[in-house]
Amino acid sequence: MSALIHTLLPMLFTGLRLTILIAILGIVFAFVIGSISGYALQSKSRIARAIAFIYIWLIRGTPLVVQALYIYYVLPLIVPFLELSSTTAGIVVISINSGAFIAEIIRGALQGVDAGQKETGASLGMTNFQVLIHLVIPPAFRAVIPALFNQFIIALKDTSLLTVIVVNEMTQMAMSYSSLNFRYIEAYTALAVFYLVLISVLVVIQKFVERKLGVNSPAKPKIANLRVKLPIDN
Amino acid sequence: MNEVGGETAFLKVNNLCKSFDSLKVLDNVSTEIRIGEVTCVLGPSGAGKSTFLRCLNRLEMPESGEIICFGKNTLTHGYDIRSLREDVGMVFQQFNLFPLKTVLNNVMLAPVIVKKMKKPEARQLAMRELEKVGLAEKAHSLPGTLSGGQKQRVAIARSLAMKPKLMLFDEPTSALDPELVSDVLDVMKQLARDGMTMIVVTHEMGFAREVADRILFMADGKIIEDDAPDVFFDNPRTERARAFVEKML
Ligand SMILES: Nc1ncnc2c1ncn2[C@@H]1O[C@H](COP(=O)(O)OP(=O)(O)OP(=O)(O)O)[C@@H](O)[C@H]1O
Ligand SMILES: [Mg+2]
Repeated sequence: MSALIHTLLPMLFTGLRLTILIAILGIVFAFVIGSISGYALQSKSRIARAIAFIYIWLIRGTPLVVQALYIYYVLPLIVPFLELSSTTAGIVVISINSGAFIAEIIRGALQGVDAGQKETGASLGMTNFQVLIHLVIPPAFRAVIPALFNQFIIALKDTSLLTVIVVNEMTQMAMSYSSLNFRYIEAYTALAVFYLVLISVLVVIQKFVERKLGVNSPAKPKIANLRVKLPIDN
Repeated sequence: MNEVGGETAFLKVNNLCKSFDSLKVLDNVSTEIRIGEVTCVLGPSGAGKSTFLRCLNRLEMPESGEIICFGKNTLTHGYDIRSLREDVGMVFQQFNLFPLKTVLNNVMLAPVIVKKMKKPEARQLAMRELEKVGLAEKAHSLPGTLSGGQKQRVAIARSLAMKPKLMLFDEPTSALDPELVSDVLDVMKQLARDGMTMIVVTHEMGFAREVADRILFMADGKIIEDDAPDVFFDNPRTERARAFVEKML
């Protein structure tokens, strides 16, 4: 019991900080990369489409563990100044891996916006960029929220695979702890509970965002649904 | 005859051609759209009416021919098509209201972001346009809560807020329940009385007869009649038009 409180929990909390850091930075970069490549996938430029396609093909076609090994061990051998710390490599791997999956989500949402909306914007004299900002992104963003959060959850769990390049996140910490004293049950039960709590937090954030944007009631965002009840109404 | 700067035509269309793959949709269309006139475009499904209309504000790019607007060919590469579009409003069969924006914001959006109008001023302008179509009390509703006829009137107000000089209507009442058609047509009639230059693709023969100054009858990608309404409806020149009129009336 005292080993649990005095050794395991402090270790897990140390690992938790790194897990959260990698997950948050990874998700943010992945969203940026995914948005750009998702946009490229449905753009008119052949070169942009080709680059995005190759990136997604490479990433989806190889396991995350292999990507991690490659970026951490192989890349420095090819490009000497690309020697990354294991944490930085971890952030890069999560970003580019998740980015490829987010790209497909974004592409689908952008293409899902009714062409009539874009034409209407154009017919009112808007530039392509104004149409994108005011008419395409708002509905597309609402449409991707559920899939996007699903991908965020996957990214968070994927940080545990970074043990292969010895990133000192939670899973690595639990493994180190149990390899010293063979207390597998408490180490991995506590680890599982930590992940469960983290992901529950993400789910709560998702529900909050969905409610704010009225994702589940397409025609009526909650904000606009408020109506002042007048005394004469009844 | 209305004129602006010595010009009586808003648009002069010369030898317009447009194909989709191997299908020739516009086949050497030439006509002119005169300022202050209401031109109704009639014709069977697939005749190329929508394509013709969409070429006028370049939502569709013709492959040959020219469209001259006050001396400039709108189809040339360097032509400022966006400033033309500011002057040419378009109303679609499917309304195309922006579903996440309130009625008011639908109407305000283009004046604010295209014309860089200040928001309070745009709001006033939008409310005036909504009043004209009888929907001021719906300003804060979302499009999803409106009837089809109300949606289309909002769409008209949204176009009018840009103070266009020409309005294009592509079957504005075809998606409406019959009892809602007249509300929209009334708004369009008022617009015509106010002197707006309009091109209306429609299957509403009563409206065309009453409001149009001129009927263009299209079939197979060509304008095959260009008549005053009473000539077109009472004494069509071609057999095609005669058959069409008989079927529609
Ligand atoms: N984007 C497109 N791609 C391929 N074919 C098209 C496209 N738009 C229109 N067409 C074809 O061009 C022809 C003319 O279409 P258009 O929509 O201009 O006809 P219309 O006279 O407006 O008909 P309707 O009364 O049914 O609206 C049709 O055969 C149609 O299938
Ligand atoms: Mg049509």
